[in-house]
Amino acid sequence: MIQVSSKVAGKVGGKVDPVLLEIVSHALVSAAEEMSITVWRTSRSTTVRELLDYSTAVFDGEGRNIAQAARMPVHLNSMELCLQEIIAKHLPLERWAEGDVVVTNDPYCGGQHLPDFLAFKPVFVEGRRIAITCVLIHHVDVGGGAAGGYNAHAVEIFQEGLRLPPVKIVREGEMQDDLFATILQNVREPETFRGDFLSQIAALEVGARAMRQLAGRYGVETLRDVGQALLDHSETAMRAALTALPDGVYRAEDFVDGDGMEEGQKRIAVTLTIAGDALTVDFAGSSPQARGPINATMATTRSAVYYAVIAASGIEATANSGCYRPITVTAPDGLLVSAQFPAPVSMRMLTGHRIATAVLKAFARAIPARIPASYYGVTFNHAVNIRHEDGRRQVYFDAEIGGWGGHPEADGPSGLSAGFHNGQNTPIEMIEAIFPLRFTHYGFLPDSAGAGKMRGGLGLVREWRFIAEYGLLNASFDAFASQPYGLAGGEPGRGGRLSVIRDGRETALAAKTIGCVLKAGDIVRMETPGGGGYGLPSERDPAAIAADKADGYIS
Amino acid sequence: MKAKRIRIAVDIGGTFTDLEYLDEASGETQSFKSATTPDDPSLGLMNAINGAAARFGFSLSDVGLLMHGTTIATNAVLTRNLPDGALITTAGFEDVLEIGRHARKEIYRLKPEPQAVLVPRRRRFGVIERIGPQGEVLTALDEASIEAAIDRVATSGASVCAIALLNGFTNPTHEIAIRERVLARLPGLAISCSHEVSPEIREFERTSTTVLNALLIPVVRRYIDALLARTAAAGLTAPLYLVQSNGGATTPRAAGEAPVKLLLSGPSGGVLAAEGVARHLGFPNVVGVDMGGTSYDVAVIRDGRRAVVAQGDIDGLPVRVPMVDMRTIGAGGGSIASLDASGRLQVGPRSAGARPGPVCYGRGGTEPTVTDVNLILGRLDPVTFLGGEFALDLDGAREALETRIAGPLGLDRDRAAAGILAVVVAKLAGAIKLSLFERGLDPRDFALMSFGGAGGLHAVEVAEELGMTTVIFPKDPSTFSAHGILQSDIVHDLARTRVLPLKPGTAPAFAALADDLLREGEALLAADGLPADQRRLELAADLRYRGQAFELLVPLEDAPHDDTALEALCERFHDAHRQRFSFDDPNETVELVTMRLAAIGLLGGMATASAPQADQASSARERQVHLGGAWTNAPVHEQRKLGAGAVIDGPAIIEQAYTTLIIPTGWRVTVRPSGDLVATRETLS
Repeated sequence: MIQVSSKVAGKVGGKVDPVLLEIVSHALVSAAEEMSITVWRTSRSTTVRELLDYSTAVFDGEGRNIAQAARMPVHLNSMELCLQEIIAKHLPLERWAEGDVVVTNDPYCGGQHLPDFLAFKPVFVEGRRIAITCVLIHHVDVGGGAAGGYNAHAVEIFQEGLRLPPVKIVREGEMQDDLFATILQNVREPETFRGDFLSQIAALEVGARAMRQLAGRYGVETLRDVGQALLDHSETAMRAALTALPDGVYRAEDFVDGDGMEEGQKRIAVTLTIAGDALTVDFAGSSPQARGPINATMATTRSAVYYAVIAASGIEATANSGCYRPITVTAPDGLLVSAQFPAPVSMRMLTGHRIATAVLKAFARAIPARIPASYYGVTFNHAVNIRHEDGRRQVYFDAEIGGWGGHPEADGPSGLSAGFHNGQNTPIEMIEAIFPLRFTHYGFLPDSAGAGKMRGGLGLVREWRFIAEYGLLNASFDAFASQPYGLAGGEPGRGGRLSVIRDGRETALAAKTIGCVLKAGDIVRMETPGGGGYGLPSERDPAAIAADKADGYIS
Repeated sequence: MKAKRIRIAVDIGGTFTDLEYLDEASGETQSFKSATTPDDPSLGLMNAINGAAARFGFSLSDVGLLMHGTTIATNAVLTRNLPDGALITTAGFEDVLEIGRHARKEIYRLKPEPQAVLVPRRRRFGVIERIGPQGEVLTALDEASIEAAIDRVATSGASVCAIALLNGFTNPTHEIAIRERVLARLPGLAISCSHEVSPEIREFERTSTTVLNALLIPVVRRYIDALLARTAAAGLTAPLYLVQSNGGATTPRAAGEAPVKLLLSGPSGGVLAAEGVARHLGFPNVVGVDMGGTSYDVAVIRDGRRAVVAQGDIDGLPVRVPMVDMRTIGAGGGSIASLDASGRLQVGPRSAGARPGPVCYGRGGTEPTVTDVNLILGRLDPVTFLGGEFALDLDGAREALETRIAGPLGLDRDRAAAGILAVVVAKLAGAIKLSLFERGLDPRDFALMSFGGAGGLHAVEVAEELGMTTVIFPKDPSTFSAHGILQSDIVHDLARTRVLPLKPGTAPAFAALADDLLREGEALLAADGLPADQRRLELAADLRYRGQAFELLVPLEDAPHDDTALEALCERFHDAHRQRFSFDDPNETVELVTMRLAAIGLLGGMATASAPQADQASSARERQVHLGGAWTNAPVHEQRKLGAGAVIDGPAIIEQAYTTLIIPTGWRVTVRPSGDLVATRETLS
């Protein structure tokens, strides 16, 4: 019937048939989606199943990313870097056998921080490697100095937990039980880890099965040609989008509060050079690598840059590594954004966010009508190491977000996830059903938004009472002092706060907190930043001000 | 209700009000159509009933049962034509409704997406109280704060009020107490409580569903009152039942209290009809598809029963009540074909809609749509399309395709057109595949059933894409929903959430929950006036591995009363998990989350539909159609002239009222005694 439904040579005049390209492209994204559904429905931790802190993707046989399920850009945009590093330095592709699963969480092998485990599975058809499937999951704990992996005292990666080089956790279909046992022995929540990890492995096979079916249907050669063409098309789309931007050199900077050890803010300096259909993003002038764990490896930095560029350029191409080709990211070794072994990196996300906002700020100079003021600037990752009276232990991990920046055409939304991270919140009722926390407040924080013609979105208050015998609170926060910037005369959003209330007395805590002892009855309060405002506050529509007052967004 | 012999079902769509009539004595069914009256749909309903009575010669006093599917709730939500409401919640959590789950629809978007807030912050009021996760009272209800909240509700101008407290599903006493106090002071206010509307965990989803319910109460009650006044004035005294999102019927009173359960009332009629046809023709596993101008709806029928899910959404808002499981994608006849910046061919999600519509409608559309492509390839007849209401502009469609797609891609026109259809077919098939994948099912175990709109143009190709070998075309898709509504039974969905491990010793607690539900179900059906032999009670359990977020629904023959039965249930869960997700974990604890009961009141089956006279297939005309990469001369059959037992081999075109079926080479259509068409893939020799 329809010609392309059978195995036919998929080329027209040397190019891949445009119809076949679309059909197979849909099927590839479906394969990634099927993997995503599998993780979502079968995982155990609230981190994965409620926050949705995981991502899935499909690579071609050479390890180039050709399809993604729409989850977390911070993961998706760096998976290929990790895979290429594994292939180049650790496990050349000829050593990947059918039925293998390769796993690593090593930031110095293209990873980002230790809780993120990347698992890869090669897919073979008639002895030929046709694809590699990938599932990345943020696991709830990786051992080390702090529950959840956010050890604010770490000055070397060794203090951050178990670091797994690229290893075969499954060899030709055989689970390596001794290796798995070793991992489980080194994490605080072995049962949860195990459940999430099995879900990860199952999802890899779901993707592999879909890829084998595709190869059986369209042929290995066609599949390879389509993958190549998809990358080429995304590259073309990105180049077209860049060409539409005004050429020039645009500079901007943004800041993180610091590493919690050394005095003073850390600077992220970005120089954006748009030249025709290519873009260079350089970070020379940024602060040196920090002593504490706020460092970003180039995997984090690139992934933040790719997020910001795709968002700012507004392209509607299929997200894959072809989009990255026209973009060159450079930084001298040893900066905050290009950390070198053995720098600690657990809180890399707070620097990652500010890399994204710095790049967006530079874009605001090139295309001011399309770029909003800064969003909240950091994911409020936090964890509690819990000990119950009966000796039972638990790790609670959660993440909160804040307000979005005012946009030239609209107020910033309150409490909306940044695309870079793209997480969900965890329902309070779900947390209370599992953990010894009783929430006392979850709501918007009035007056936290940056004023402007278009105001920012409001930050959030999240407050809970601890009811177990003993707990240790760890926080990986930022943007307390470094407020989310406003644009075009708009004011910055209010910075964040963390405090503990004991016996009615409130004590402020540092943004980077480790091992703050919690006793039954203590209340932990966090306030997340509001978004920056856009345009002069004096130009704001009086009706909008009246509405904000009626709703108590401003006092 | 058996004494009177006429049963009537009415489905109100955007354009037509469809009526299906059943004479219970003879088993005869008839269809009738009249224009929808959007300002007051009950007028159109009454017009249809009067028209049918005149046409088929029955008296309104003979009508024993009036069944009705309505989009009144859906339209009110989509157009945000809702009253001002207030929300009373636990103090400190007033913003839960607006915070939502933080999730964004488009991850790379910088311009804010419009956010739907059902009740603005100025009308959300906190009461000091707190219930814990096990239902324990952590903070007693504070009297003064209730009074203060009621003061503010009274002055806010709200005409409805939702009450949704944190953990309110574990212990309803505070919600009930607040409701009593509000009613005492504001007796006219419509109120919804979360423990009644959606008694399940996750505060945002429960609150949002409860608020939506409250906002819909005046909308739905006003409609039902108008409808009942109209029918009573006309002398129609038959009991009225409304079809809910789960496909079951309910009384006007219950619908007025839980209007959120009507949100999928319209589409569920089609699914009910698909279920009926599937059973009648003997196909237990069927995927039902409905392709309109802008969307494609996919529903699954397994083992003869429609799949129902515990949560869906409408317009980005979660709606957590049982509803027929329907996946909708943005692909329809109006989907636009275009090239993106890199020259890649895209079909949809943009749609030309009804205005300007496809290029061939001649209403100003300039971009080629799926309908245009079907016309260019001879699949649609420019003369008979939509009953020949207006002539289609074939030349305009060709030119648009040529200049916008074929030329830039370097393809000839036919190849470009066929390519666009191939992309559409891949998308439709992809939606079906994902729908089945989520349940661990294989398309090859299913037959495809296509009803409505443009579906028949692509159904066989979609089936072929998925390796399915049977496609069912019901005999009269234009009144299919009404036909389904006619077969509806009364369904009360009951649920009790209680997390309970399945291990030695828990069987008594398990059984107690089940017995509780069974008693309640019996009582509800008795209150509906149904005799015992027309009651059916179906128990099921939502089970999961400890710690998972999602449950699998496992049907229960009976409540397990001992450890052995509990163990057997665990085994069935492991099997189901393995089938669905390709692995299981026999060492992990299985736990119950929610026990569910469907209490079904059987309204009596329909007689077998009448068999049409047996003609052989003979076609009067032929048409050039592009199939399988080449133009072919295909016979054109009119379905109304086909008799039972007729056999048609592809290539062929079958025209039904308002829809066209394309049968490619290699497929054979037989007309069943019921008049339904079944296409099967012939074994390749």
